Amino acid sequence: MTPSIATQLDIILNDFERNVPHVQATAVVSTDGLVIASRLPAEVEEDRIGAMGAAILSISTRSGGELERGEIVRVLIEGADGYILIRSVGEFAILVALVERDVRLGLLFYEANKCIQLLTEVL
Amino acid sequence: MADIKQVVLERDLNPYHSFFSSFFAGLAELGMINQGSINIVSKRAADYLYSYLEAKEILPDMSAVPGNTPTEVAKNLILYINKILSLVGEYEFKDAEDGQAILLITGNTCRICPKGVGGAEVKGTLCPLPSLVESMVNKIAKQDLLELATSGIEKEGVTCKAYFKVINSQ
Repeated sequence: MTPSIATQLDIILNDFERNVPHVQATAVVSTDGLVIASRLPAEVEEDRIGAMGAAILSISTRSGGELERGEIVRVLIEGADGYILIRSVGEFAILVALVERDVRLGLLFYEANKCIQLLTEVL
Repeated sequence: MADIKQVVLERDLNPYHSFFSSFFAGLAELGMINQGSINIVSKRAADYLYSYLEAKEILPDMSAVPGNTPTEVAKNLILYINKILSLVGEYEFKDAEDGQAILLITGNTCRICPKGVGGAEVKGTLCPLPSLVESMVNKIAKQDLLELATSGIEKEGVTCKAYFKVINSQ
C-alpha cells in the first residue's frame, strides 16, 4: 500500500534533516502560505512559518523580476544565530528550512536540490 | 477585474470597504501577504474589533443571545457581527456533517474581498472572513464555539465556503 502523501512528505523531510547536520526544522508550505507538512520544534508557530516563508519567497521572486535578476534560485537569510533557506517546490509549494550557523552551505544546497526533486514527485 | 463602478454599486460598498479591499489587494500583488498571513492578521483584527465593541458598549449580552445549540448561538453572533461590520450581503450559516458547520457566502455580495472587490490579480484565495468569524464569535461568546476546519475559503462557482468544527456539538 502506498503511504499517504503526509507520510511521504514527512519521510522526505526527515531524510533531509538527517543528511544535513545542523538543520533544525523544515516545512513544506503552499504558495498561499498554508502549511502542508512540517517538522518544527514546539516553540515555532507553524502558521507563522508558512505565512512568512511564502511571503518572503513571493517578494523575492517579484524583486528578482523587477530588478532584472532572473528567476530566483533560492532565498538564504543569514542571521547571527543561523540561516533560513527558502526554495520553490514546483509551482505551488515551498520548502522552508531553519538551519544552524555551523552548517556546510554546499551540503545544504546539494541536499536541498535532492529534497525538492523528491517533494516535486510527491506533490 | 470587474468594473469598479459596478462593484461599488452592486455590492453597496462604503469607503472603508473600498479602502480595505484595495489596500490588501495592493499588498498581495507585491507578494507581501497571502492566505496564511491574512489568517494570522484577521485574528489580531478580531481582538481589536472586540475591544472596539467593548469600548462602544455595544457587545451583545450573551445571556440574551438566542440559540439552543452552539451552531444556533454562533449563527446569531455572526448575524450581529455582520450587522455591525457590514461584511457580506448574502450568506448562510448552518449545520453540516460530522459536527461541523458551514459558512456559505454568495461571493458577489462580499464587500471586503481583496480579489473580487479590491481587484487583486493573484493566484489563490485571500479571504479574511473565516479566521475573523472564528475569532470574533469565540471572543464575544467568551468560550470556544467554533474552530476553523478549513485553512481559508473554498470557492465553488459563485459560492465561497468555510467549514468550522462546532465545539461541544455532541
